[in-house]
Amino acid sequence: MKPLSEMTHYDVLEIQAGSPADEVERAYRIAQTTWAADGLATYSLYEEGESESIRERIELAYQVLSGPDTKAEYDRRLEPGETEMDFEEVDLDLQFVDETVAGPSVDLVPAEIEAFDDAADEGGDTEWTGARLRRARLRRGIDLEKIAEVTKINPTYLQYIEQDQFEDLPAAVYVRGFVVSLARCIGLESGQVADGYMARLREHTPEKRRPPGRHARR
Amino acid sequence: MTASTPPHLPKARLVAVGGGKGGVGKTFLSANLAHTLARAGYKVVAVDTDIEGPNLHTWLGVKAPRASLADFVSGRESRVENLLEETPHHGLGLLAATHGNLAAAQPSAARRAELLAALRELPCDFVFVDCGAGAHPANIDYFLVGDEGLLVLHPEPTSVENTYTFIRAAFYRRMQLAMQKHDVRECVREAMDQRNDRGIRTPLDLLRAVEEMDPEEGQRFAATMKTFRPRVVVNEVASTEDIKLGFSVRSVCRKFFGIEVDYVGYINRDRAVRDAILLRKPLTEVHPESDAAVYLQRVAGKLVEAARNAGSSA
Repeated sequence: MKPLSEMTHYDVLEIQAGSPADEVERAYRIAQTTWAADGLATYSLYEEGESESIRERIELAYQVLSGPDTKAEYDRRLEPGETEMDFEEVDLDLQFVDETVAGPSVDLVPAEIEAFDDAADEGGDTEWTGARLRRARLRRGIDLEKIAEVTKINPTYLQYIEQDQFEDLPAAVYVRGFVVSLARCIGLESGQVADGYMARLREHTPEKRRPPGRHARR
Repeated sequence: MTASTPPHLPKARLVAVGGGKGGVGKTFLSANLAHTLARAGYKVVAVDTDIEGPNLHTWLGVKAPRASLADFVSGRESRVENLLEETPHHGLGLLAATHGNLAAAQPSAARRAELLAALRELPCDFVFVDCGAGAHPANIDYFLVGDEGLLVLHPEPTSVENTYTFIRAAFYRRMQLAMQKHDVRECVREAMDQRNDRGIRTPLDLLRAVEEMDPEEGQRFAATMKTFRPRVVVNEVASTEDIKLGFSVRSVCRKFFGIEVDYVGYINRDRAVRDAILLRKPLTEVHPESDAAVYLQRVAGKLVEAARNAGSSA
C-alpha cells in the first residue's frame, strides 16, 4: 500500500521491478484501458480531472521503461527494496486475460479448441506441436498479429511455427528464439515448450538440409 | 461419472456472495457454486438471506420452503439445523429466507450474530450465504462475516458504480468495528461521507489520518486493511474487454483505495443459463458442459483451493 507519489514506474504499471520489454508493453496496454478517461473501471470514482494524474504517471512510466537506454538507466538507479510491492502471480486460467494484448471479441471458446481438455492440453509432457501452440493461443484469445507486434517477429514465421512448416522456417537458432517469445507471450513455460518444439523440428529436418534454411543467409 | 468423495473440511467454510446491484447474478452464483461443490462430493448448505426478495430456493428446485430464516428471526425456531430444507440435489441443503410472509423482518444485529455463529457450526464443508442487493448494514454484515466474500460484477457502469459503493461501505464498516478508541471510530464514521470536512476521500487518506491521530490504532488499521480482501467475479461477460474489467477493477482498488481484491474468475453470457432457470434447476445440472458451467467450475475450484490453504495454515 503506497500512495501514487511513492510508487516506482514498475509499481505504477503493476509489474515486478526489472520486468522485460514485452511485459512492460502488456502492462501499459492494460493500464491504458483501465484508466481511460471514460473507462468503465473508474466509473463513478473520480471527479473531473482526478484520474489525470494517474494517467500522466502511466505515460511517464511507459516512456521511461519502453526505451532500452532509459530503462537500463532507471533500473541502475532503482534502489533495491524500493519496490516492495508484491504483485502476485495470477492463477493460470486467468493469466491469459492479463496476457491478452488486445484480443478479439466475443468468441471465447472457438470450435477448434472445444474438443480439448484445457488443462490436459497444456500440461503434462506431451510433445509441443504447432497445433497445440495454436490452441493455447486461441484459448487466450490472442491474435497472431498482436504477438508479432509485441515480439517483432514476422507474422509469417509465427504462422509457419503453428503449422509445423519446418522447411520454410529460418535456421534453428532463430526458430528457438521465436518459439520462446511466442510461448512467453501466451504465458506458457517457454523453456519447456521450446525444447519440445525444437526436438520435433530436428526430427523432421533432414540433416543435410540444415543449417541453410532458405531465409537464413550468412 | 461420479466424483469420488473429497476429504471433508474440518470446519464449515462460509462463502458470502454479495455485490451492490440487484440482478447481477448473486443468487445464480450462490446456487450454482453450491451445486457444483455438492456434485463434487462436498456437503453444502445454501442460505438465502435476501428476505425482501428470496429466490435461492427456486434455483435449487424447492418450490415452497417448509421452514425458513423468518422462523429463526421470529423466534419460532431457535435451532438453525432444524430449519434446513432438503433439496433434490445430493449433499445440498437449503436454508430459505422466508415462505410467504411479506412482513418478515430483518433479524436484529444480535440475532444475525447468533445466526452466523450457528451457520459455522453446521456439519458441512461449505456454507454459501446469498446476500441481498444494496449496501444495507445487514447485507454488509453477512458479507463481512464470510471467510470469503465474493462480489459479483456486471460489465456495466451501473454495476461498477454499485460495486465500489459496496466495497467502500463494507470497508468502512469493517474498520469501524476494528477500531477501539472512540475518537478514531468517530473519524472513520465521518470519513464515510465522501464530502467530509477532514478532506478524507479514500481509504488510503483515512489510514494516514488515523496514523496521525493514534499510531497504535494506525497499526491496527493497516493490519485490518490487509485482511480485507474481497474476491471479484465478473458475470455475463461477452467480450475480452469484459473479462479484462476484473483486472481493471483490481488495479483501481489497489491504486485508488489501497485495497487488494482478488479476481477469481468470470462467467460468460450464455443462453443455457436462461434454459436452466426456466426449468428451476441449477445450470450445472442441466447444462454441465456449457461454457458458463465450465467457468463456474473454475471459480468453485478456487474456493476449494482457498479453503484447503486456510485449513492447512490454521
